[in-house]
Amino acid sequence: MRRLIATAAAVVLCASLVSAAAVKKYGKPLTIKDTTKISDIYAKPDTFNGKRVKVTGPVVDVCSEKGCWIAIGSDKEFETIRFKVDDGVIVFPMTAKGQNATVEGVVNVTVMSVEEQIAAAKAGASAEMAAMHGGEAGKEMTKEMKEKEAAKMKDAKPFDPKSIKGPKTIIMIKGEGAEVF
Amino acid sequence: MNWRHLNNVLHRDIGYLAVGLSLVYGVSGLAVNHKADWNPSYAVTKTVQKIEPVAATERSEIVREVLGKLSILETPRNTFRPNPATLQVFLKERNISVDLPTGTVISEHAQARPVLYEMNQMHLNTPKRLWTIVADAYAVALIVLAITGLFVLKGRLGITGRGAWLTAVGIALPVAYWMGHLYFG
Repeated sequence: MRRLIATAAAVVLCASLVSAAAVKKYGKPLTIKDTTKISDIYAKPDTFNGKRVKVTGPVVDVCSEKGCWIAIGSDKEFETIRFKVDDGVIVFPMTAKGQNATVEGVVNVTVMSVEEQIAAAKAGASAEMAAMHGGEAGKEMTKEMKEKEAAKMKDAKPFDPKSIKGPKTIIMIKGEGAEVF
Repeated sequence: MNWRHLNNVLHRDIGYLAVGLSLVYGVSGLAVNHKADWNPSYAVTKTVQKIEPVAATERSEIVREVLGKLSILETPRNTFRPNPATLQVFLKERNISVDLPTGTVISEHAQARPVLYEMNQMHLNTPKRLWTIVADAYAVALIVLAITGLFVLKGRLGITGRGAWLTAVGIALPVAYWMGHLYFG
């Protein structure tokens, strides 16, 4: 009996170690050979708009509600790019935050007008969040999401429409596949 | 064996088989329905503390200063600066966000809710592959249970009596809701 328990414990330990070290794959397998720098996408958004790319970096934020996006830190400071997937197709766990990810998808560049940004801010969403929801800010946002967005938008309390100076370019990657490690 | 006996045997045995999954989908359904008010899969705890404002300007120095002020000996999995005023430090068990000019530190720990996390994963079909087959089979089983359930009893309490009224109410409920949704949005 003791031998059985020891064997079972060893198997569980090995399985835990293997799973901890393993690369967790989501969605379609990655096929693109070359990795694109996130900073290059930010430098030339029009060149990359609509193109399939593979990028890599630390996961600096995860959608806590549906696991439907991750934010990936750029190779350059102060830059992140959101990797958005269709709800339910890929679900990223919150524990992915802080790990590294290599993701593949199509670059999507959205230019939000001043009016759209004002509408988004009034609904409690950042322009980026609104762009992710097809411009319909606040429609699918839960209380927690709105609170989180409001916390991020420090200058939105109280919101001053004059603080929006002009159209804003939002860059994200429409996700197809990812590896988190 | 007549058809009603076969119907009842099917209803009984499929019912037994469906108990486990019904509990999984039922409990998870309640949890997920209210996700606007809570996170059904993770318990997220946040703590706020203060350190002296961070004087360093170069990233590696900032990280060293922050870890020192927080007495953290662990080597971070990652660090990142989303903006000039913020440093994110990703540790094994928690993630820290430091507002460098004020020294405000927000520490976040997300832990999967035991059992409920797994139930939600199954309910939302996160595992895909084999689980899709299980979930499809369960959906078919529910349809069979619904249909065989209509014919379990005969007579006054069966589908020709009380059962007809209750079945009509059960069908009218979603139809009425959807019509109301279409017309009154």
